[in-house]
Order: sequence, then C-alpha cells, then structure tokens
Amino acid sequence: MLKRSPFSGTYIVLGVALVVALVASAGIGAFTFTPAVMARHLAEGFGWIAKSSSDALSRNVFLQLRLPRVFLAALTGAVLGVSGTLMQGIFRNPIVEPGLAGTSAGAALGASLVFVFGSTSALTRPLGSLAVPVMAFIGAFVATMLVYRVSTSFGKVNVFTLLLAGIAVNAVCSAGTGFLSYIARDPQARNITFWNLGTFTTADWRGVEMVAVAFAGCFGISMRYGKSLNALMLGEDEAAFLGAEPEKLILRLIIVNTVMVAVATAMVGVIAFVGLVIPHALRMLKSSDYTFLIPASALLGAVMMSVVDIVARVIIPPAELPVGIITAVVGAPVFLWILLRQQRNGAASFYG
Amino acid sequence: MVEALDVNYRAGGKLILDGVTARFRRGAFNVILGPNGAGKSSLLKVATGLLKPSSGTVTYDGTAVADFAPTELARRRAVLSQHVELAFPLPVRDVVLMGRYPHYGRSPANRDAEIVARALEMVGMTDQSAQHYPTLSGGEQQKVQLARVLAQIWSHDQDSDHKYLFLDEPTASLDVYYQIHLLDIARDLLGHNCTIVAILHDLNVAFHYGDAFFLMEDGRMAKEADNSRELTTELIERVFRVTAHRIPDPVSGEEFWRFTI
Repeated sequence: MLKRSPFSGTYIVLGVALVVALVASAGIGAFTFTPAVMARHLAEGFGWIAKSSSDALSRNVFLQLRLPRVFLAALTGAVLGVSGTLMQGIFRNPIVEPGLAGTSAGAALGASLVFVFGSTSALTRPLGSLAVPVMAFIGAFVATMLVYRVSTSFGKVNVFTLLLAGIAVNAVCSAGTGFLSYIARDPQARNITFWNLGTFTTADWRGVEMVAVAFAGCFGISMRYGKSLNALMLGEDEAAFLGAEPEKLILRLIIVNTVMVAVATAMVGVIAFVGLVIPHALRMLKSSDYTFLIPASALLGAVMMSVVDIVARVIIPPAELPVGIITAVVGAPVFLWILLRQQRNGAASFYG
Repeated sequence: MVEALDVNYRAGGKLILDGVTARFRRGAFNVILGPNGAGKSSLLKVATGLLKPSSGTVTYDGTAVADFAPTELARRRAVLSQHVELAFPLPVRDVVLMGRYPHYGRSPANRDAEIVARALEMVGMTDQSAQHYPTLSGGEQQKVQLARVLAQIWSHDQDSDHKYLFLDEPTASLDVYYQIHLLDIARDLLGHNCTIVAILHDLNVAFHYGDAFFLMEDGRMAKEADNSRELTTELIERVFRVTAHRIPDPVSGEEFWRFTI
C-alpha cells in the first residue's frame, strides 16, 4: 500500500536524512564520537559487551548527556513540526504556529509556576511528578483557546486579529514567566533565557521519556484526522457536509496539539518558528495534503531541530547558543515572506 | 423523501423559521424560492442536518436526520454551496476525492479513484485534474465542487440508497453557459435515484428546471406547489414586491416572467 502512495519517495528521503542527522548530532560537539565509539558505548550501555574501565568518562558523556540531548532535540522538532501543521489546519492559515499563537508561551508560564513555587505548594502538590506537564498544559490550553476565540468569528479566522491576539497573549505570558524567574529563590530555577529561547542543555532521559510518550500519543491521534483537516480546508460547513464534525475536530486537535507542545516546552523552553517553517517547506516542495503533511512534518521537524542543535553546540565553543536564536534567524524571514505573499495574493495562491 | 415537519429555528432571539413544513418530492427537482431574508438558506441548512431546529423534525425516508451518523448522512446527501474557497492549494483531483472521504478509511480504493475520474469527466474538467484549485476561474472552481458532490453521492453504476443533492444558489457567480451546464448535470441526476433540493434566485431558471416549488415568505412556507402554474402572478407580485407579467417564448412556447418594480 505504501508503494502506491505518491509520497513514499519523500518519506524515504526524510527518513534517511533523519538517520544521518541523528548520527551526526550524536557525534559532533565538545566531545566527538566516531560511529565506532558510539556503537561500542551503545553496546556497553545495553550490557551486550563488558564495560571498559578506561573510557568511563567518554561513555557517561555519550550515554547520559549526549544521547538524551539528541533524542530530546529530534522529538521536540517532531512535536513542533506536527504542531505547526495541526494549527495551520485548525486556523486554516499558513502563518500560525505554537510560538506565535501563544501555545508555547502559555506552556512556559504554567511550567515556570511549578519551578518557582516548587512542587510543594497547595496548587501543585496533588499532581506529584506530573505537576510540570499538567501546569504547562493548562497554561498552553488557556492561551491557545484565547487566541482561537478572539481571532475566530462565525467560523472564519481573521489573520490580523490572530496575529495581534498572539502578540498580546505572548506578551502577557512572557511577562509572567519573566517575573517568576526574577522572584525565584531557587538557584536551580530556570531563567528567562531558558524559557524564551529554548535549550537542550538540560536534557536527561526522564525528559526524553515524557516528550516521547506525549508525542507518540498525540501523533497517533493526529494521524487519524488528516482527511478531516483536508475537508476543513473547504470551510466548516463543507467539512460538516462531508461528515467531519468540525467543532469536535477542532477542539480535539487543539487539545492534542496543546498536550504535546506543553510537554515539550516544559522540558526545553519556547522555540519559535519551527512550526512555521516545516509545514511551509513541505507545502512548497510537495503537497498541502494533511495526510502527507502530518507524518512528513514530524520527520522534517526532527531533522531540522537536530541540525539546529548541532549548530547551537559548535558555533561559539565552548559556550552554547540558545536554539531559539537560530530558529528565529531562519524562521522570521520566512514568516515575513509568507505574510507578504499572503497580503498580495491571498493565502492559497503561493504554494502552486 | 426529505420531510421538514413543523420546523422552528430560532437564532439570536429571532424566529428565522416559523413552523415550516416542506415535503420535498422524491426523485424530483425541488426548488426553494423567496425574497432575501425569507429563511431559504436556514431551511436548507436545517434540511441538510447542518443546523438543529429549535423544534420540529427533519426526516430522510422516515429516519430522523439526527439519528444518522455523520458519515452515514454524508454518504446519502451532498451539498453544493455558492462559492467554496480553499485556504491552501490542492490539485483539482484531490478536491474531488474529498467527496469520497465518507466512503473510505485510510486510503482510497480503486473504485474511489475511478469515481473521481468519472465525476471530473462529467463536468468536463478532466484536463485540469492536476491543476491547483485556487488557480482556476470561479466557474471552473464551481464545476470542481459539483464534481466533488457528484462523487460524494455517486450512484451512476450501482444500486444504492436513494441520494439527495442540495444546491444553495449554485449558479450565483456563474455566467450563462456554466449555469445551464451545471443545472443540466444536476437535472440529469434525477434519473439516477436522486432527489434535488435547490435554492434558485432567478425565477425563470427556477421554473424551467423545477418540478416542485416551495415559496417562502418571512420565515413561513407561503406556498407549496407541484406546478409553476400554481404560483400565480398575484402571489409572486406580493411575495417579491414586484409587478410581473408573463411573456411566451416565440421559439419554445414556454412562458417567461418579466419583472418591474
């Protein structure tokens, strides 16, 4: 069945690119690992071969620092790519993504509450170890719904209201996050740079686990709605005539999208523009069909974020650049370009 | 038969449909007529199941519209709207394939692809099937939408449940050629186990194509008629607030209406 798909070639190319990017990301950095060393450390890690005592440092760096970081970056990229695709489908506009529409900033605000007040406050104690993702979800959901409601009237999305609502919600959320990081007494509390620009330096296996579970679940659900998102391109009424139940669809996808963005943001901070650039590139290169865009944006998002993370590690050694700076440098011009084209020709006419 | 029984529809405190009963004839070209704001679109939306009436029922061959699963209803009835824009570019054939969405799960069967091809052929858009929808002219876009709804309720080469096609001022933005072309194709469906319910603004077009007429006025059903003759000049003049007279066509003998204020 996969053979007959007009997209299988693209999937194969993206899959190969992802493998290459993951290996490169695992190898390049302050410590360099050749593929042979990586293979040995992996085998040691799984207990297939005895651990050599001579390179315990190298092994620990690879298994406990490098690998979680590689996976966290790839997973975050996949989350943001799919999120951009879903949000553009829901809003029926190519300029939406979690960073611009307030989702990520809301998640950061929710998560930073937990970091500042700690997991012992009355609000977060009952949630236990899920306090961070749950609070991030609440913040992200409120922010997203606010932007969606403000920018939508009678089933139509107004682009300018959308952008302005996004700016307002982002401003309020990052003001809140900024305030919280200043009053934080805990020296471990994450600072405002972490939240606003994102970083993978704090990656650990637990974070990978949480983002992986959130992504797998949300991606699985999203894959079932490719056809419905296509139908929604015709408008809410037409989608309903095709049996798609647009109101339920939109609410479900907003929730699914918010869950994965919230969990990823709680781990790595706000990384903007990835969700914008990924679907845009795929639309230009191949197709606007959501049954293709959803899986393809997961793959391309993972590839792009892996590459961005490599750049973040090597560009100013020994320091690291926050990844959000790199994604903004790449993404903001793309954003302006889309906006310009949309102004001139209407949304639909420029991917042909 | 699609039946709307004693339907009230209230929106924003206003009674849009006031006790409307309409029995759309099975296998016929049913036309809903009326001036702007009479409730035609609301009646169509209630009849298609898009809007839930505040009270009253809509049934398809005896089954309440609310009892259908959404995809099941979508396999029986399709709706062609006035003008459908696409927020993103898709090739024409992908847009028509959407009509098959209620019929397949993850990926389309060969039969779905075949129906898409035949629907495109029927509206004369086969050559444009790879072209992007937003690059087409308004008339061509409307033909693609027609192909999409044809694909949705396709019953040309198989025994199937009775199908319903709703047309909401489908020719509003079309030139004369496209108008006739579209309505001829629609009319042709009547021979394929299909019922049509259309809102048409042009009374001459309505009387030419229609079999049964539903004249609305102020949210009420002013007159249900099986023949355009039953819609008297006085009635048309009152409801539409015009003066009207009929002129026989010297070629066909068919009568045409001429209106003045």
